[in-house]
Amino acid sequence: MFNFIAYPIANLMLLFYTFLGESTVLALAVLTLLINLLTLPLTLSQQRSAHKMQEFQPELEKLQKKYAKDKERLAQEQMKLYKEAGINPMGGCLPLLIQMPIWFGLIGAIRYAIPSTPLEMFQFSPHIYKWLPGVVGIVPLQSTFLGMDLGQPPSPAQWWSYSLPILVFVTSWLQQKLLTPPTTGDTQSQAAMMSQQMQIMMPLMFMFFTLQYATGLSIYFVLSSVIRIAQYYLVQRDHGGGKAGVKGQSG
Amino acid sequence: MNRSWRRRWLTVLVVSAALLLGVSGCAGGSARPTSWTGLTIAGERLYAADLEQVQVLNASDSDPVWSFPRDPQEDKRGVFYVTPAVDEGIVVVASQVPAGGFFSQPKNVVWALDRDMGGELWRFDGAAGQYVEGGGLGGGLFVIGNSDGKIYALDAETGALRWVFETGHRVWATPLIVADTVYVGSLDRHFYALNLSDGEMRWDFHAEGAFAGTPALRDGTLYIGSFDDRLYALDASTGAERWRFAGENWFWGSPAVHGDVVYAVDVNGSVYAVDAETGEQIWHRALEEPVRAGPALSEDGSQLFVGSQDGTLHALDSADGFVVWSRESEGQVLSTPAVNGSVVYEAVVFGPQRIRALHVDNGRDIWAYPPVTEE
Repeated sequence: MFNFIAYPIANLMLLFYTFLGESTVLALAVLTLLINLLTLPLTLSQQRSAHKMQEFQPELEKLQKKYAKDKERLAQEQMKLYKEAGINPMGGCLPLLIQMPIWFGLIGAIRYAIPSTPLEMFQFSPHIYKWLPGVVGIVPLQSTFLGMDLGQPPSPAQWWSYSLPILVFVTSWLQQKLLTPPTTGDTQSQAAMMSQQMQIMMPLMFMFFTLQYATGLSIYFVLSSVIRIAQYYLVQRDHGGGKAGVKGQSG
Repeated sequence: MNRSWRRRWLTVLVVSAALLLGVSGCAGGSARPTSWTGLTIAGERLYAADLEQVQVLNASDSDPVWSFPRDPQEDKRGVFYVTPAVDEGIVVVASQVPAGGFFSQPKNVVWALDRDMGGELWRFDGAAGQYVEGGGLGGGLFVIGNSDGKIYALDAETGALRWVFETGHRVWATPLIVADTVYVGSLDRHFYALNLSDGEMRWDFHAEGAFAGTPALRDGTLYIGSFDDRLYALDASTGAERWRFAGENWFWGSPAVHGDVVYAVDVNGSVYAVDAETGEQIWHRALEEPVRAGPALSEDGSQLFVGSQDGTLHALDSADGFVVWSRESEGQVLSTPAVNGSVVYEAVVFGPQRIRALHVDNGRDIWAYPPVTEE
C-alpha cells in the first residue's frame, strides 16, 4: 500500500549504506536525520498550533463553563475563537497524520533493505535504482548489530534485543515530558489528566509497535526522539531558557 | 483540553494503532506464506512441501500416497516450505511453526520422515531462523542452511547435530553435496566449499553480491549466480574464477547445465544460454516477467522450463530460446519445476491448485492438486 514511499526510502538507505562504510546503523541514523529535517516544517507547525491552543486554554475553559448546557452554541463560540486567533483546530493532528505514511514507508523500506523473508527481497529486486552508485549487489544489507538481527523483531533468543523497545519507551517518554507544557490552574482538570495520560500512552504505544517490527525500526524511533530532544534544547537556548509551551510528538 | 480534543486525540491513537497493526500483520487471520513451496520427484512419487502438510502423490495420477501430518488441523506441525530432500528410506523437510503469543517467536523444525509411510523418524529444532531452501543428503548427513546464518549438518539416521558452520548472513541456498565436499552460498556474498565430515572450510569465493542459489556442477566446474547480476564459473577444487557472465539483474535461481551449455535466468526474466567453457552468450530470451527460480531441463535437454511470478510456465527450445508454449496458472510459480519423462510438474503458491502436472510437449493439463472442482 505504501510501497511508492517504501521503495525510494529503501533506495536512499542503500545509498547511505554504500557511502557509510556498509554500516546499516549509520545508514539508518542518516536516514532518520533526513526524515526529521524533511518533516521539520510539519513538526514546527504542530508545535505552534499546540502552543497557541495552550495560550487560549483559559478562554476555552471560560466558554465551556458559560455554555455548558448549550453544546451547539459552545461549538459555534469555539470556532469563532479559533478563527479570531488564527488557530487551525486540526493543526495538532494533521501533521501527525501526514507523517504516518512516512512511518509506513520506513517500515516497508526496512523490510526490503534488511529482509527477513525471501518474498520481501524478491519483491524489492525490480525496484532497486541501479543507476545509484554502488547499490548493485548490496541487498540484503548487513543485518547484525550488537548481536541483534535488525531485520527481525526482538526475540527471546536474542533477549538483549528487548532493550531497544525499552529505550524507545524511555526516550519518547523523556521527549513527551520535556515538550509537554506544565498545566496551569486546577491540576485535577480534564486537560491535566489528559496531558498526563498522553505522556505515558504515546511512549507505550511506540514500545508496543517496536516489539512487533524489525529491530531496525526501534533504532529509528530512538534516534528520532533524541533528535527532537536535542531540537528542544537548541530552541530553549535560543529563547533564553524556560520550559517550552508546546506539546511534542514521537516518531 | 476539552472533550472534543480528547476525542480527537483518542481517534488519532486508535487510527494509528489500527493502521500499524494492519501493516504488521499482527491483527489476526491466517498466516500468509513468506516463502515458496518445492517439489522433488523420486521414483514414481512426487514429494511436495505443501504449506500445512508434506504431500506424497503418485506422479502419474496425483493419487495421495501419504501426508504428514495426516490431519493438519489436529496435529499442527507448522508451514512447510522447503524442497524435500529424498534418499533411500528417508524424506527430510523443514517447517516454521508460527509464534503462539506476543513474546514467543516462530519455531523452525527439520523433520525426517519415513519415505514409505511418512512416519516421523526424528526432528531438529536447534536453529533460530527460517529455513528457506531445502537441504542436501550425502555421506550419512543432512546439511541445510538457515536464516540465522548457520549451516547445520545433522546425522541422517538420528538427527544428532554433527557440526555447524557460521557465515556472515542468512543462508537461503540449498547446499550441493559432491563426494566429501559441501558447496553452499550465503547472503554474506561468499560461496563456500566445506569438508562434509567436519564442516572445515576448504575455500571460499567472494563476490560483490549475495549467493542464494545452488550451483550446477560439470566436469570440475561449478556454475553459480549472484545478486551482483553475474553468473560465475568456479574451479570446484580451488574456488578459482574461470569466467563471469553479466546479466541484467540478480541471478537467484540455480543454473542448469546440459552438454556444453549453461542455462540461467535472472529475476527480470531474462533467460541466457552461455558456453560452459568460455562464458560467451549463445542466446538470450527476455520473458519480461519476474522469475525467482532457476530453469529445469527436459530429460533429453531439448527443452527448458521456466516458471514466473505471474504464474506462467514457459517451455523454451534449448537450442535457440524460442518459446514453444506457455501455460498460465492462478498464483505464482516461484520454485524450479520438476521434470519426469514426458511430464513437467510445477508448484504454485497463492493459487487454488498448488501442484500442476503438464505435458512437456504442449503444456496440456495432466492433473492438478487439489483437483479442479466443477461448480
